[in-house]
Amino acid sequence: MNQQDLDPDSTTDVGDVTNTEEELIRECEEMWKDMEECQNKLSLTGTETLTDLNAKLSLLIMQVKCLTAELSQWQKKTPEIIPLTEDVLLTLGKEEFQKLRHDLEMVLSTMESKNEKLKEDLEREQRWLDEQQQIMESLNVLHNELKNKVETFSESRVFNELKTKLLNVKEYKEKLLITLGEFLEDHFPLPDGSVKKKKILINRLFDVPHDPYVKITDSFWPPYVELILRNGIALRHPEDPTRIRLEAFHQ
Amino acid sequence: MSVLRPLDKLPSLNTATILLVGTEDALLQQLVDSMLKEDCTSELKVHLAKSLPLPSSVNPPRIDLIVFVVNLHSKYSLQNTEESLHHVDASFFLGKVCFLATGAGRESHCSIHQHTVVKLVHTYQSPLLYCDLEVEGFQATMAQRLVRMLQMCDGHVPGVSALNLLSLLRSSEGPSLEDM
Repeated sequence: MNQQDLDPDSTTDVGDVTNTEEELIRECEEMWKDMEECQNKLSLTGTETLTDLNAKLSLLIMQVKCLTAELSQWQKKTPEIIPLTEDVLLTLGKEEFQKLRHDLEMVLSTMESKNEKLKEDLEREQRWLDEQQQIMESLNVLHNELKNKVETFSESRVFNELKTKLLNVKEYKEKLLITLGEFLEDHFPLPDGSVKKKKILINRLFDVPHDPYVKITDSFWPPYVELILRNGIALRHPEDPTRIRLEAFHQ
Repeated sequence: MSVLRPLDKLPSLNTATILLVGTEDALLQQLVDSMLKEDCTSELKVHLAKSLPLPSSVNPPRIDLIVFVVNLHSKYSLQNTEESLHHVDASFFLGKVCFLATGAGRESHCSIHQHTVVKLVHTYQSPLLYCDLEVEGFQATMAQRLVRMLQMCDGHVPGVSALNLLSLLRSSEGPSLEDM
């Protein structure tokens, strides 16, 4: 129907440049004549309005008819091109190149702006990297210093300290033992082994039965005295605390 | 001429004509201005009408696309559209008619239910576009869309006819539910 874009057959072989325009105009005129014929035919058909009731169905039927008609039209038609004379080719070529140039210019400007952005980014990142490297260097120095300190410490000093500590403790122990010994000598003198106390007590009991008491002298070892007193082997004199007697077991 | 026919005149060279039918004058005028700002390969001619049939004094050239504008806020607008539809030739509905529903954004003001419009549109087998013509941005987008549709309807896009466009714009939901 409405196909001004349909290009006509190129039946003639035109070699003359100036005739190209005329040729094109002629073809357009032909197409217009065809259209007028079609228009006349169409005006002969009547009008048809729709009511709500029959609208859908009749429209669908009409659509089917038109679509089938269009389909057959498309199948019949073969693609046609305009006559490729020099003029036409030149104009077409120029147009294509203009378009291409425009597109390439756009691409160029986009790429340039992108480049600039990337350069800025790069500079920023570079600066950041430098700063980070400086930080890392100073951290490394610090780390090395600390590492050295730790090494010397753990190797010699601790060992020496422990040794001295040990020696000190041993000395102290010796001192304590000596002091303890002196203390014991002073307050708890060792018993004199040559004199037998038990013999003295027994002899006294039997020799002088009415006064079996023995005076406690310094040669008596006090803890021994305490021992025999506590266990009931000897008894104190009721009036004189410095005298003891042997218990009379046989009575 | 009481009934609009799509092919009653020869097409004017390199022009595309669109007819907007609707009761909202101000909105339509704004839409027209936006459309004229769009660049279009052919010359654009816009006609406004409150309703069809067109008064006999007006004799427009061959019309390539009719857009019926329905305002969801007023029942009168829908009534007007329904009456105008009776004055359009059946062959227009093969892709050269489009419905535009405006005012769907403000749900509280809508006096017409969306279903009513959808049913009407399905009866006439035409595409339905939604647009809030009061909003600047939407209006500009809609203007662009209408210009593109117009270019296809008047044959300026090689290889696509109005009927093809109609098949592509058909909504996926089955009309059977609406008809029940």
